[in-house]
Amino acid sequence: MEEALLRIREIRKNFGGLRAVDGVSLDVAAGSTTGLVGPNGSGKTTLFNIVFGIHKADKGSVYFNDESISHLAPHEVYARGLVNAFQLPRLFYRLTVLDNMLLAARGHKGDSFVNSLALRQEWQEQEMKLADKAMELLELLELDHLSLHPAAELSGGQRKLLEIGRALVSEPTLLLLDEPAAGINPNLGRRIFEKIETFRQKGLSFFIIEHRVEILLEFAHWIYVMDKGKIAVEGKPEEIVNNPTFYQVYFGEA
Amino acid sequence: MDPLIYILDIIVFVGIFAIVALSLNLEYGFAGLGNFGKVAFFLTGAYTYALLSQIGLPFFLCLIIAALISASIGFLISLSALRLREDYLAIVTLTFGEILRLVVKAEHWIAGGVWGITMPSAISWAGASPRMMAAANIGLVYFCLILGFILVQLVSNSPYGRVLRAIREDETAAEALGKDRFKYKAQAFMLGSGLAGLGGGLFAQYLRFIDPYMFLPTVTFSVWIMVIIGGPANNWGALLGATLVELFSRGTRILKDYLLVPIDPNNLQYILFGLLIVFILLYRPQGLLKESQVKTKALEVISRWKKHS
Amino acid sequence: MGERLPLVIYFLSMVNWAQVLFNSSVTGCIYLISAVGLTLTYGLSKFPNFAHAEFMTLGAYAGYFLADQLGLGFPSAFVAAFIASGILGALSYRGIFQPLAKRGASLIHLMVAAIGLGFVIRHFVGELWGWSPRSFKVTWSAFDIGIVRVSDLWLWLIFAALAMAGLMHLLLTKTKIGKAIRGTSSNPELALASGVNINRVTLVTWLVGAALAGIAGLFRGAGTRLSPMLGWDILLPTFAVTILGGIGSFYGAIAAAFIIGLAENIGVVFLTSFGISTEYRMAIAFLILIITLILRPGGLARMFR
Ligand SMILES: Nc1ncnc2c1ncn2[C@@H]1O[C@H](COP(=O)(O)OP(=O)(O)OP(=O)(O)O)[C@@H](O)[C@H]1O
Ligand SMILES: [Mg+2]
Repeated sequence: MEEALLRIREIRKNFGGLRAVDGVSLDVAAGSTTGLVGPNGSGKTTLFNIVFGIHKADKGSVYFNDESISHLAPHEVYARGLVNAFQLPRLFYRLTVLDNMLLAARGHKGDSFVNSLALRQEWQEQEMKLADKAMELLELLELDHLSLHPAAELSGGQRKLLEIGRALVSEPTLLLLDEPAAGINPNLGRRIFEKIETFRQKGLSFFIIEHRVEILLEFAHWIYVMDKGKIAVEGKPEEIVNNPTFYQVYFGEA
Repeated sequence: MDPLIYILDIIVFVGIFAIVALSLNLEYGFAGLGNFGKVAFFLTGAYTYALLSQIGLPFFLCLIIAALISASIGFLISLSALRLREDYLAIVTLTFGEILRLVVKAEHWIAGGVWGITMPSAISWAGASPRMMAAANIGLVYFCLILGFILVQLVSNSPYGRVLRAIREDETAAEALGKDRFKYKAQAFMLGSGLAGLGGGLFAQYLRFIDPYMFLPTVTFSVWIMVIIGGPANNWGALLGATLVELFSRGTRILKDYLLVPIDPNNLQYILFGLLIVFILLYRPQGLLKESQVKTKALEVISRWKKHS
Repeated sequence: MGERLPLVIYFLSMVNWAQVLFNSSVTGCIYLISAVGLTLTYGLSKFPNFAHAEFMTLGAYAGYFLADQLGLGFPSAFVAAFIASGILGALSYRGIFQPLAKRGASLIHLMVAAIGLGFVIRHFVGELWGWSPRSFKVTWSAFDIGIVRVSDLWLWLIFAALAMAGLMHLLLTKTKIGKAIRGTSSNPELALASGVNINRVTLVTWLVGAALAGIAGLFRGAGTRLSPMLGWDILLPTFAVTILGGIGSFYGAIAAAFIIGLAENIGVVFLTSFGISTEYRMAIAFLILIITLILRPGGLARMFR
């Protein structure tokens, strides 16, 4: 198997008395699309939040490119090439759709105070290139006609799309997507996964939570099934579909 | 009193408070920081200016140092305070303003305590009439205002300004997109404090006398009204707000002095201010001018895309 | 500093510590009465009401109006302060803060509105009664209990604070509305689900909280003097009590009020003995406030749950 880009080891997290994540260890291979499925409340989002530094784990560690990232703040995790798209979109609602996209850009010179004044010429050029790229993505997501509208005007599904688009702008090495196809019409959901596949072929890696298992079975290389804070089963998609434990966990059938 | 002088005096005050309003707009309008101790930085600027001008430094140096010292104090405050929740930040900054005022009031050796401190005139030449003096002050104040305005305009129409707005909207999401929120907040706070300090320096320079009673929390409150009336996150709004509030407060004095309305102008002014702000927050919370867009060349790209499709 | 030390020690040995302790209780009692309303409304409505200062001011002047200007005697002042401030608090909530919250006003907008309201009331008082300080006509007889010099006003104050604490304790633990106040403050959704009428609970809290603030203002005015700044002068110490006690925590406020009272009065002794201006008396509460917010924003409340 390929080398692991992300290694999660023995992660535990309690909320009060509630065990949200209970000793999870898993690997995400470089260049792969790895899936994470499991019933509601099984701890998937919590695990993502820990990887990304929004929550601190009670125990265990996370390695990205062989570096421990357990104690980093989210912006430091982002700086290392790991980006997260939230399950419930967290947009900048009073800013335009375009601004939301541009904010995700990596290494924008104008982001620093001094350069915003000193390197105007340079960041303006960068800004134009980024805007082009953002518009291409927005076109794909069918949001381009809304580019100058405040994000608050978007519908629920469109918000979700923008959340994903924003993450794609940031050119990460590994992208954590929390239910990208949820709340989006089935056709577009598929197309997003197709787009994800083209990005993957260009070298990105994906770690995706998704309840629409049929899409995941098609695109993922490896799938983890989580239940009550633990990994219940793991394997290739074709192995997972034949595993009775998967059905038991997911559909409550024996 | 010479009516022309009166008008020139109004113009000077509008300019000084426009600078302070721009500074609060940067902190609150763009970065979302509720600084309820604006007067502390105004005070720092004013007292720094007063003390330096007394030892004979030229006025422009006094102004620059006043802004720098205010900015440094802003930085020190931001180290601990900016990690606090919104309401705690408000209480801490408000309290900080009161502590500073207490210190300049109690420590006579700093600047005369309650008796205040006078300073030599920065702008003076032989045979200058009061009108010419006032005009010269307008020149100085508006020179600073224009510089400050250009600065905040450049900052707010840049990717940097976009990040500040993002932090205002959702700091966790901004952090998740790689923005170090504390760094940005601290910078905005520092810049805002520096500008407020500049305003304080100009205030001291113009009046040539300051005492602790000029730096009551009412100053902070007036500046908040300016920003909220004008429209937060719009630098033109801050200018508009400063003009309206200053004219309004003079208006109440005219009401008393010339129209002989039997109510204390100071009371009338603040009663109306208070009612006005509550009214605006209820019925037009976005203020007069709406938030300005981030204007960069990205907008040109978009119009090109629009034409294609 | 070195040569001053023997002097300081001599000074400190001359201090009547029993008196300091008594004075601390007096200070603490005023802060407690004023902080109860602030902490409860802060806990329920989730914003610091800066106009609480003016609830105190209005109470003091309403009392002054009835007792001195209409000549009805000092006891009538309590009724006036309680009713006037209580009505003002209820009106403020109904007329300003509740509508603002309904329109989705941000926390900062609520705080600015509170400051604005405070200005209206303060300057209204200034217009009606003028800005120069006034005093109550009654004189308080002072007498000694052991080595402690007390006045009957201060004994009344301590009695009032104890009575209020007792009544509030009964209200919060025994009555339906009191339990609802505590429940709503810690978990609004749960309270809503259990059929508590949050609007009514909040309105009652604002009314009672403001009425108590009026009483605190009255004591402050009677003990010192009346001015439109009366409430503002003790607002930040009241905040210190609220924050140190833990927002929304009545029992935390009791402990915090006496800690701040002690800190202020002992602080004054030290300030004087070191030859530092007693103007800094206020700064002691301010510093406690800032340090608590920065280091332990939860306050003491955890210990009282
Ligand atoms: N911040 C929090 N505080 C307290 N409990 C939390 C918090 N976040 C999550 N939980 C709890 O942890 C458990 C796991 O939640 P999580 O969001 O990780 O589930 P999930 O697997 O993502 O579910 P879904 O498929 O519905 O998104 C749930 O019981 C949830 O209530
Ligand atoms: Mg989830």
